Amino acid sequence: MQAIELGVHRKRVVQVGMGLTEKPGNVFGVYHGIRQRTEPAYACIGCGMCDLVCPNHAIMPAHNDERDKLRMHINLGGEPRRRGGRRNDPRSLLDEIKFVRISMLTDPALDAGRHEFELRTLLGRILPPEAIVKVARENGWIPPVREIYPLIVGSMSFGALSPNMWEGLQMGVAYLNEEKGMPVRICTGEGGCPPRLLRSRFLKYVILQIASGYFGWDEIIHALPDMKEDPCAIEIKYGQGAKPGDGGLLMWYKVNKLIAAIRGVPPGVSLPSPPTHQTKYSIEEAIAKMIQSMSMAWGFRVPVYPKISATSTALAVLNNLARNPYAAALAMDGEDGGTGAAYNVSMNHMGYPIASNIRDAYLNLVKVGKQNEIPLFAGGGIGKNGNLAANGAALIMLGASGIQVGKYLMQAAAGCLGSETDRCNICNIGLCPKGITSQDPRLYRRLDPEKVAERLVDVYMSFDTELKKIVAPLGRSTSLPIGMSDALGIADRNAAERLKIQYAV
Amino acid sequence: MSNKPTITILGMEKGVRVESRILEERVQQAVAKGHRFIEIVAHGQHGIGGRLWKAGDEPVEIQVQGTTGQRLGSMGFPNTLIRMEGPASDDVGWLNAGARIIVRGNATNGVGNAMAQGRICVAGDIGARGMTMTKQNPRFEPPELWVLGGVGDSFAEFMAGGIAVICGCGKEKETNVLGYRPCVGMVGGKIFFHGAYQGYSEKDAKLTDISDEEWRWLTNNIRGFLDSIDRINLLAPLTANRGEWRLLTARKPHEKYGKPSRKMTAFRREVWDGELGKGGLIGDLYDQDQSPVEVITTGGLRRYVPLWENEKYLPPCQANCPTGIPVQKRWELIREGRMDEAVDLALKYTPFPATVCGHLCPNLCMLNCTRQTVRLPAVDIRLLGKASLNAKAPEPAPSTGKKIAVIGGGAAGLSVAWQLWMKGHEPVIYDVRKRLGGKISETIPRSRIPDDVLEHELKRASKKIAHKHLKHSLTREGFLKLANGYDFVVIAVGAQKPRMIPVPGNERAIAALEFLRLSKADKAQVGQRVVIIGAGNVGCDAASEAYRLGARDITLIDIQEPASSGVERQHAEAAGAKFLWPRFTKAITEKGVELTSGELLPADTVIVSIGDQPDLAFLPETIATERGFITVNESYQTSDPRVFAVGDAVRLGLLTEAIGMGRKAAASIDDLLRGRKETYDQLPAIDPARVKLEYYDPRVLAFDDPVSCAGQCASCGACRDCGMCETICPQSAIIRRDLGDGNYEYAVEADRCIGCGFCAGACPCGIWRLTENEPLE
Repeated sequence: MQAIELGVHRKRVVQVGMGLTEKPGNVFGVYHGIRQRTEPAYACIGCGMCDLVCPNHAIMPAHNDERDKLRMHINLGGEPRRRGGRRNDPRSLLDEIKFVRISMLTDPALDAGRHEFELRTLLGRILPPEAIVKVARENGWIPPVREIYPLIVGSMSFGALSPNMWEGLQMGVAYLNEEKGMPVRICTGEGGCPPRLLRSRFLKYVILQIASGYFGWDEIIHALPDMKEDPCAIEIKYGQGAKPGDGGLLMWYKVNKLIAAIRGVPPGVSLPSPPTHQTKYSIEEAIAKMIQSMSMAWGFRVPVYPKISATSTALAVLNNLARNPYAAALAMDGEDGGTGAAYNVSMNHMGYPIASNIRDAYLNLVKVGKQNEIPLFAGGGIGKNGNLAANGAALIMLGASGIQVGKYLMQAAAGCLGSETDRCNICNIGLCPKGITSQDPRLYRRLDPEKVAERLVDVYMSFDTELKKIVAPLGRSTSLPIGMSDALGIADRNAAERLKIQYAV
Repeated sequence: MSNKPTITILGMEKGVRVESRILEERVQQAVAKGHRFIEIVAHGQHGIGGRLWKAGDEPVEIQVQGTTGQRLGSMGFPNTLIRMEGPASDDVGWLNAGARIIVRGNATNGVGNAMAQGRICVAGDIGARGMTMTKQNPRFEPPELWVLGGVGDSFAEFMAGGIAVICGCGKEKETNVLGYRPCVGMVGGKIFFHGAYQGYSEKDAKLTDISDEEWRWLTNNIRGFLDSIDRINLLAPLTANRGEWRLLTARKPHEKYGKPSRKMTAFRREVWDGELGKGGLIGDLYDQDQSPVEVITTGGLRRYVPLWENEKYLPPCQANCPTGIPVQKRWELIREGRMDEAVDLALKYTPFPATVCGHLCPNLCMLNCTRQTVRLPAVDIRLLGKASLNAKAPEPAPSTGKKIAVIGGGAAGLSVAWQLWMKGHEPVIYDVRKRLGGKISETIPRSRIPDDVLEHELKRASKKIAHKHLKHSLTREGFLKLANGYDFVVIAVGAQKPRMIPVPGNERAIAALEFLRLSKADKAQVGQRVVIIGAGNVGCDAASEAYRLGARDITLIDIQEPASSGVERQHAEAAGAKFLWPRFTKAITEKGVELTSGELLPADTVIVSIGDQPDLAFLPETIATERGFITVNESYQTSDPRVFAVGDAVRLGLLTEAIGMGRKAAASIDDLLRGRKETYDQLPAIDPARVKLEYYDPRVLAFDDPVSCAGQCASCGACRDCGMCETICPQSAIIRRDLGDGNYEYAVEADRCIGCGFCAGACPCGIWRLTENEPLE
């Protein structure tokens, strides 16, 4: 950012003799010191790298609590501000939700440390027995279902993330599966998938994403004959919570040789992912066509589900999916989701909060008696203030079968500096000082993939412990309490009414 | 202790079960009355046999017949011995504080839960959660649980002390005597067991060898246990083989561990790269070094690198000098003590360093001096200009024999001729006047240029330019004829035709140019009241001259805010001239100037100063003009390639601009004559923000001589070899290299440099620039 530089300064000391017996004089001197530049283009982003490099720890960024004045005149050249990261709103309804149903002698009490929990969820279409019989008879086929850990690493593309960050996350996921026995899954995001990963057994841990740019899919198709394992699932991205209804653009300067190879494009060209898929004209067509095509690629052995931005129209999508026996799930991404790049206005003002959206969807499924058939996955703002397990558990009890988390895991695994008070937020310009979202080796080599993997493992282990610490006192069950909303309370009457949970003050 | 109970307490009276509370009262009463051997026929009463402290240190024996309820012997005292003649219900010995409890059958869940002292002997199996939360208080012996058979699930959870012995008798064919997941949360105590097992919480407990002392303890005490349950026959088989027994002990805090986990580095090497291949995920696509780097890097890993951009940009003085004089270079020469060279250098660029730089020029170099950006006074070029009066003319290049006609001997014409002479050509000047110097000689008032300075410089130029044809007026035919005799022709006729205002009575007015010419020749006359129409710099000159000639009421009018400035304006104001605008002339009458507003400005003399135009009557049609001026390209070449044009004939401007045009035109002609490509190369001007003026004393407000000026010149864009960069570099990465012949350079050792930019931040002259390193793949 070059917000600070060495400056030359002149200092004047007025020298006055006692008693004014002599004419006062001036002594001028020159000294050097660090100076902050004040032009908006060089605004301090608060990344704190100054503190990291100062040999004397003599400098650090401090947040200005006043409203940032840049907001008024940052849109230089008529281009509205874009940024990466987060919504810059520290409020979180999920943080307000409490777990109020404590098992006090009413049920066998559970001990998070002593009892064994099966905190797993299902990704795939779970048809009732009669429907399975029917589908199996008519189609000669039973929908594929995966038993996975309920916390999924949300979609972040190779390209949005640096190679070291991406590899670190994948390595951590492989470690969790193979060393810790946790069936954790990670979604690729829309940026293709390195050919080696496609041809490895680790593909089993990967949810491949297809989105409107279709980047890297020819490489995936070419790898089909060599795949040792089926991927966990295919996610069809229709929308993203952070910038609902808007697309993405990987700027040409981030498209180096490596990214180009993985995405199957020439280097040095900008890669747009448009807001919409070009050849889909209706819900019915989009869902039927895409789910069927993606299922075909792996012989209908892989669950395929769409991911949408949370929206007041989500139920229309859900109802459509419910009628399609090939639809494996629905992922909904709420307004608080993170992103590598979005317009300010999209991030700050667009989108639907996840809690009530997932709740509506779940209760709608309950109404039609399909709540155990089509799993819902929630994303967007989970753990934005660090309360990953509590937020996740709340969403699960509101009806989500699992949660997709990108931003928090990325932050925790890589030491991201961002905060909900507009600190840093430059994921979009290829200058991430931690090397998380930059494609410049000089920056991303600051990040050690092994450390990322280690931290991811740590996060999952602690999440697991915390989730048990939430679930156990509620009693009743050692399974994932999907839809167990009688355990939830909130001190906001309107929210309680809206979410159909207890009003607890 | 007697062999027979001294009292029997019944749990059932007249077919009605006695409440636990009543039974407890009766037992306590019996003890209080002195009974020490009590028989109880129980009917499910709870908590039998505990809390018998009323007997003091005297032993009390409780023999329980029938069916005991839960918590047999709970809170038992050390004086108490309880014999349960059959099986027992849950929580035998709960919170036992010392009682010996013998159960001659199985016991259900929770045996010994939270027991801290005493001993429980069970002649059969026990249910789940036996020996849980047991303690050892250091004041007492540890609690003991002896089980003849096996134990149920979740045995010894959170066990914090005591000894459990599980004999596994009758379980020889079973696969597990310890139940499911024993020892979770165990932090203290020992468990001896005999028989098969299916694991335990390895995080909390460990299997250890039985020491000789422990084996001795076991074999000694098992006898008493078997005795108490009348199974002494099992002593021999149970103690026959020490190897059949195992001992579980709690891990001490420092021994606790999770499942051993593979280090990530090993996982990466063995599993990750093992499956994917060397280089991991992208090893097949990318072969560059990927190893982690620190935030502070050197060499090729630096994000930014410093560049020593010495003389890659023009200083603003030179960049803004239309003549193109390397002003700063001259100050540098002076700083080096080479005053003569500094003075002489000017003549390479202009024949009029004293006349123009020292007197007549508004000094664009100074107006654009970087020092001005922070309100420091510009280094004063006029001092150096005046000093150039004595400059020595340079030696011309060897003669080429090429002849160039220069039409006009004013500033522009003399500049062209001077430059062509220096380049070895032979310029020939034609002028209609009898004197060289054009407007400088003819119309600029003496108050602005002393005669001796001008004469000196004209003479100096004139001496070098051998051929001059003065008083030579030109017709169109004459021009064509003349042109044929030369390799090139340069038109520098100036703008000699005054524009007159088209109003009635304009014949009563005199053109400013004419007035100034007459005035300089001391032939002009003015009245008391003078009105000058047009308040530009020429109008100002006319005003000061009118004052010199006796006028006392001088008014300058203009149709807009006057564009005059500088010395000309100052002189006019000093003469008391009034400036009025906007004023529009309607007519010039005997009384003066009549304005469109109806106002009359009384005047004895009216001077019109609204600009001049070139007189181009001699110009052939082949040479294009536009609005009365000759059209030229960037090299001042006209539409006839052999004809160049410079000065006011092309565009009205400053003397320095006319001189600069002349210099550029001469350079172009030289290029053409020598068949070279254009060499006139202008570097971009330096960004003044790069220059650090904090190094200069703000108290210096004026300069006495060129030497003091030179000291305050910031040397924008040109290294002054101060060594600041070497000094400030925290890495000692900057070195000065002597290149010989007084030349030097500063260079960066990449392996030490961290790209901090301190050199760029501190450099007084703005030489160092921090720039992004070459992109890495």
